[in-house]
Amino acid sequence: MFENKPTTSNENNLLVVENLSVTVRNSREKLIRNLNFSIPQGEIFGLVGESGSGKSLTATVILGMLSKSLEVTSGSVIFGQSEITSLSEKELRNIRGRDIAYLSQNYQSFFTPFIKVGKQFIEIIRCHTDMSRKEAKKVAIHWLNKVHLPAERVFNSFPDELSGGQLQRASIASAIMFQPKLIIADEPTTALDVLTGERILDLLSELKEELNCSILLISHDLKHIINRTQTVGVMYGGQIVEIGKTSAIVANPIHPYTNLLLQSRLRLNKHIQHELTAMLGEPGLIAEEGCPFSKRCPSVMESCSNIVPMSSLGTDHSAACHLVNAEREERYVTR
Amino acid sequence: MLHVNSISKTYHSKPALRDISLYVNAGESIGIIGESGSGKSTLGKIILGLEKPDQGDVHFRGSNLHTLKAQALKAFRRHLQIVFQDPVGSLNPKLPVWKSVVEPLENFPDVIPSFLKEVRLDRKKIAEVLFQKVGLSPELLERYPHQLSGGQKQRIAVARGISLEPELLVCDEPTSSLDVSVQAQVLNLLKKLQRDLNLSFLFISHDIAAVQFICERIVVLKDGILVDAFLTRELFSTARHPYTKMLVEMSMEQDQ
Repeated sequence: MFENKPTTSNENNLLVVENLSVTVRNSREKLIRNLNFSIPQGEIFGLVGESGSGKSLTATVILGMLSKSLEVTSGSVIFGQSEITSLSEKELRNIRGRDIAYLSQNYQSFFTPFIKVGKQFIEIIRCHTDMSRKEAKKVAIHWLNKVHLPAERVFNSFPDELSGGQLQRASIASAIMFQPKLIIADEPTTALDVLTGERILDLLSELKEELNCSILLISHDLKHIINRTQTVGVMYGGQIVEIGKTSAIVANPIHPYTNLLLQSRLRLNKHIQHELTAMLGEPGLIAEEGCPFSKRCPSVMESCSNIVPMSSLGTDHSAACHLVNAEREERYVTR
Repeated sequence: MLHVNSISKTYHSKPALRDISLYVNAGESIGIIGESGSGKSTLGKIILGLEKPDQGDVHFRGSNLHTLKAQALKAFRRHLQIVFQDPVGSLNPKLPVWKSVVEPLENFPDVIPSFLKEVRLDRKKIAEVLFQKVGLSPELLERYPHQLSGGQKQRIAVARGISLEPELLVCDEPTSSLDVSVQAQVLNLLKKLQRDLNLSFLFISHDIAAVQFICERIVVLKDGILVDAFLTRELFSTARHPYTKMLVEMSMEQDQ
């Protein structure tokens, strides 16, 4: 039924997620509810949220790697011309690792420990192409150079002979070898030092320009989201509660969750903060019905226990909160 | 109160710390900033007396920590406590958390912290007071570590850390495994406790923003060398070491 829908209303969109819901098969517990977002060609789109918000699960659905105990109960994920959720495992394998690359926080376990990095590269290349070992080595060296590594040395090293930053770079090299259209970077810097992490993100931005691909940057670190993304979706309890242009959301957050998240973040600042704004409760506190944040929300109203629809505030900013209306009125009056 | 005098430490013929000196006054909070491999955690261990330096010494309240005999060292430990990054590793999974919280007090039966004067003989009451100090509900007393969230566990680790009313609390990346909103809660708590109990802090972190929030003075380590030391309010001064400047620049949000 989705074929007839004008999903490509924006021709530039590489990935369109529509009304996506994911449920646990046995308990019917909803982990992701009615997710809507799209990633334009050549853009960095951010998903930000705390533990249990469903951001990594969203990545799993896009990769078609949903665990057997979970199921997609509604909606679609359209990547280019393909509807991911209805592809067979064989078709998915052609897309995964080739058109959609995945970078994880856990770069330590990306490579098998007792096999040299180079050998693992050759294996990956020959899995997707019919190159000879010699040709494959050339390709591997080319891409190891691209991520600014001493290619020959890394090629001949065991994974534990490389530093964390080098391993993450090598895993990026292997992810981009087939020039993917979309890179999903799931907390790519969490396990790295500040400087190393920034350099990894610099590298990703540089590669994005060169390959003209899109990046889905999943992070809990607001600094990275603010500095690196053009568009952002703020997730809480499996729902996107606010979405839009990153600059618009940072300048004027509407949903209390976004607002409090932005205020409670640590910021290096010329004026030292004396106390951080505290959000009540813990990220695991999710309301079953209506707005997922209502149990922690300072602006909660009776109507928040019903489903709160997304409403827009201008062309590039929407939020699922009653406060959107208040904000609209205020803007109208001040005008 | 604490004096670290030209400490050096070598692991497997690789120098981990080279000629480090610093001091902490009573009631003062010092931040140690460094990336992984900078030696910041090694320094923390040496200050706690868990590792011996190859050269140099650590004086705490006038005594050399590393030449003390076992009995005397134990007495000193009371004044030196730590909160680790990973609260899971520091709590016994088989004990209800309140027992973990009062454990240090059981090791030091003679110690009576000022905030426990009235309840010193009742272990459960002690735990209640400590829970309240770190903002935990008494309902959680009987829980086991796996039944608590990361933020709650870290509060428990803090409760344990302050239970003996130590003079110096070493915090090694205490909030880096926590979510943003929980991190804010725990940092606010640490700051408040530091003020209320007049604790000295040695706050070890790679996150300059967290150190700026908590500490009055900052020390920057790079490859085992102390490259910069300054008052927090001078963090943005042009006199900063180039390495500090680079860390600051990388930690800033754009458009500030």
